[in-house]
Amino acid sequence: MAKVLEGPGMGLMKKWGITVPNYVVVTSIDELTKLGQANEWLKKSKLVVKAHEALGSRFKLGLVKVDLDLKGAEAAAKEMIGRQVGSITVSQVIVSEMIPHKEEYYCAVKSTREGTDVLVANCGGIEVESNWDRVKRLAVEIGQQPSPASFEKLAKDAGFAGPLAKKMAEFAGKMFTCFDSEDAQYLEVNPVVLREQDHELIALDAVTLLDGDAKFRHPDWNFAFAAEFGRAYSKHEMEVMAVDSKIKGSVKFIEIPGGDTAMLPAGGGASVYYSDAVVARGGKLANYAEYSGDPPDWAVEVLTDKVCSLPGIRNIIVGGAIANFTDVKKTFGGIINGFRKAQSEGKLKGVKIWVRRGGPREKEGLDAMRALKDEGFDINVFDRNTPLTDIVDKALQGK
Amino acid sequence: MSILANKDTYVVIQGGLAGVNAARRMAEFCYLIKRSLNVLAFVYPPDAGKTNEIPYGSGLLAVPIYKSIAEATHNHSQINTSLVYIGADRAMKGGMEALDDSHIKVVSMITEGVPEKDAKILGAHARKLGKVFNGPSSIGIVSAGSCRLGVIGGAFDNLVLSKLYREGSFGVITKSGGLSNEIIWICSQFADGITTAIGIGGDAYPGTDYVSYLDMFENDPQTKAVVIVGEMGGDLEERAAEWYGAKRRRVKLIAVVSGFCQESLPKGMKFGHAGAKEGLKGEGSARSKSDALKKSGAIVPATFGALGPAIKETYQELLKSGQVKELVEPAVLPKLPKSIEEAMKANEVMVAPLIRTTISDDRGDEPCYDGYPASELINKGYEIPHVVGLLWDKRLISKQEAEIIKRIMMLSADHGPCVSGALGTIIAACAGIGMSQSVAAGLIMIGPRFGGAVTDAGRYFKYAVDNKLSVDDFLAYMKKNVGPVPGIGHRVKSLRNPDKRVKELVGYVKSLNIKTPCLDFALEVEKITSVKKDNLILNVDGTMAAVLVDIGFPVDSLNGFFILSRTIGLIGHWVDQKRQDSRLIRLFDYLVNYAAPKRREVPPLK
Repeated sequence: MAKVLEGPGMGLMKKWGITVPNYVVVTSIDELTKLGQANEWLKKSKLVVKAHEALGSRFKLGLVKVDLDLKGAEAAAKEMIGRQVGSITVSQVIVSEMIPHKEEYYCAVKSTREGTDVLVANCGGIEVESNWDRVKRLAVEIGQQPSPASFEKLAKDAGFAGPLAKKMAEFAGKMFTCFDSEDAQYLEVNPVVLREQDHELIALDAVTLLDGDAKFRHPDWNFAFAAEFGRAYSKHEMEVMAVDSKIKGSVKFIEIPGGDTAMLPAGGGASVYYSDAVVARGGKLANYAEYSGDPPDWAVEVLTDKVCSLPGIRNIIVGGAIANFTDVKKTFGGIINGFRKAQSEGKLKGVKIWVRRGGPREKEGLDAMRALKDEGFDINVFDRNTPLTDIVDKALQGK
Repeated sequence: MSILANKDTYVVIQGGLAGVNAARRMAEFCYLIKRSLNVLAFVYPPDAGKTNEIPYGSGLLAVPIYKSIAEATHNHSQINTSLVYIGADRAMKGGMEALDDSHIKVVSMITEGVPEKDAKILGAHARKLGKVFNGPSSIGIVSAGSCRLGVIGGAFDNLVLSKLYREGSFGVITKSGGLSNEIIWICSQFADGITTAIGIGGDAYPGTDYVSYLDMFENDPQTKAVVIVGEMGGDLEERAAEWYGAKRRRVKLIAVVSGFCQESLPKGMKFGHAGAKEGLKGEGSARSKSDALKKSGAIVPATFGALGPAIKETYQELLKSGQVKELVEPAVLPKLPKSIEEAMKANEVMVAPLIRTTISDDRGDEPCYDGYPASELINKGYEIPHVVGLLWDKRLISKQEAEIIKRIMMLSADHGPCVSGALGTIIAACAGIGMSQSVAAGLIMIGPRFGGAVTDAGRYFKYAVDNKLSVDDFLAYMKKNVGPVPGIGHRVKSLRNPDKRVKELVGYVKSLNIKTPCLDFALEVEKITSVKKDNLILNVDGTMAAVLVDIGFPVDSLNGFFILSRTIGLIGHWVDQKRQDSRLIRLFDYLVNYAAPKRREVPPLK
């Protein structure tokens, strides 16, 4: 799943005929001033300014300002741009027109196993959270195109009547088309508002999650995907991502500040069981990592280097199940090179290394790991006869 | 018995290299269980009409490649299963093609990174047709003792260790490829092994879910218990729990779920599998899945480590109740023939080498010449003549000797366009021939009459010096046994019109404080021969030869100095013609003496 910021998200909705407020995304005050000269609406409308970054609770952080004129918007933008919030520096703001309205509604489209659910409610904003029973659902089977009548029925079920029911049905229809055509995984507009002047339904705020795997058939996805956990990626995380995008197989790395147990396991499935074992044993994870699909040894070496660079670690868990086709000797070769480099940089002092693995060329790989003892590493090596996560128990014994 | 894959499963593999690798693994399994290869065809349009070579035992099987599924099933009507190893952007089309073929009942997709929508469409299409679509991102399916689809099960040794050569009593369903192997291994160590293990893939919406496979296992009398390895995200585990709790089931269900760590990790963090992700509202957490499974009556060990003992306990119960009997392992299993490399590593064979080398080795990170790493030679100031010395005579020559060789090379690098070698290259270049062939056309001119006299000159001068012959005795010997003295005589140059290159080289070598017996002898020979005839002077070949013998180069290497030097010139001529875009040339008639018979009538054929 790939999160998309509001600007590009609204751009996609606009593309499929959903009315969104006028908006611009700017990186400087000058840009906003110039846009103000070129666009009537910036001068005439009341404006909202929001930090355009993958940040949660922007209201609380003072990164949303409402009811501004252009001057006020410029001042708000000036205040926000460059502000540091945790690891994120605000580099963009989105300035959009305020839509005077009285009524707020809700519309969302989400992926289900059978296809797609279209959700509509005749309440919106925070009200929808506490009134989830008012949200009505239209389940669409994959490959099916629901009729206008079924959208109308959905709107009526949700309590819309008269011409508004027709409008809401159309709105939901466009949301579905946008979702289906853009390989979206989640689209949510909350609130949908009724513009007073022309009784048009407007998408005021949008959450857009796209299927990153479908990027190959969307040449107009010219925006970057946002980090999904409320902080920017670190330098080391981005370096591993860059390697990941270049290789056969995969390497993954996410830092978790404050932990003391470093993870360097193989396999998308096993890596989570290893993390679970650490947590169950009362350990504190310093990272999540994983390599799989027989990646080249140099890629595993880069990953190892990042794992060894985690501050304050006391154990490194080099776990893994019995591989199908990942060459244990080759991938361990990358890990061993990484360990040697880290040792020469004085990084592994007092760190215990725990190894468990099976798979093609497991004997050679494990023997090479064992030989590291002679080079002064504090390393404990186990083969397939030791159950998967037992090395975590051993590592965290006495904790 | 087993589900999905059995003795009657015959396979077409869609895709290139990854598919071929899978076929190799599948052939290893077939060999282990003594069945013929179950991969009957490949579909890979770029190579249609060719075959892929798949090792089976110690032999090689040729498996045909077709351009479409229809062509493959038309030629091999037994095919009922397709494995898809096509890139994510074309995987859906390939999967559809397979599903739509009436012969094919099971399609398993190995491709990772397939768009969710495509996976859903494929899954729905298969359900509509009453077929099975497994995956995407599936490691494969294996039924012990009967059929392997994909690389699931790992290397040959692991197949044996995990007792996949015969049926056990446990079904396995996992999202993770690596863990499928782990569970197969655990089932073989803590119980009697597996019936069928299925990797359903780690995507959010696998084409076929736990429930469908649980139904199949429930209807397979050989399967007594099923192990599910789940993870957070989606609702497949909840659905499995619902299925298990709905009524009394014949099979026992053992399940573990991963993702408890998520409770103490950043929200929204992405794990290795696309589907391993809590919902926006916290649904699909490891805890809710694990609770649901427990409630349904399934055995849910607290940790992955406790899975082995739980499986063991279940197996003991099955033994006690008489539902399973202890198996007797076969005494002898086929051994996979080792490759030469593996056998050599294990000191099991001795191979007589085909060739022997004594000069160079580039098996390390850089070439070594006579043992010296090239980069070290460069860094310590050695030059090309030293490399010549190492590769042609296996010795590090001195600075002075290197200087002589450098001068020889500079003097003989080129001799204009008219000489045989350059002319050969130029004619070829003008005919549009490439560099290596054109240069070779020039090089083949080098022989007894052009540039190729260096070795012979060196040989005979050395013979004379070694045997302390006088000049007269030498000339007599040559006249009797050889003919004209190689290295003596020039077509154009003469005493009055001396070859400046010879003068230059002789002058330099004589200025050094070294012994030059061959050169001295050659100059003595010249004194006599040039008196007999003006142009019987020591030529450049003879001079080079004498000097090179004097500084210790073996006679057999001597022509090499001319060939090497002149190659510089020949390459120059080729580049020169190419750059001018020269046109094809042919001789003018007036340059030919037509001495052939005049035109005449052809007599009737007898």
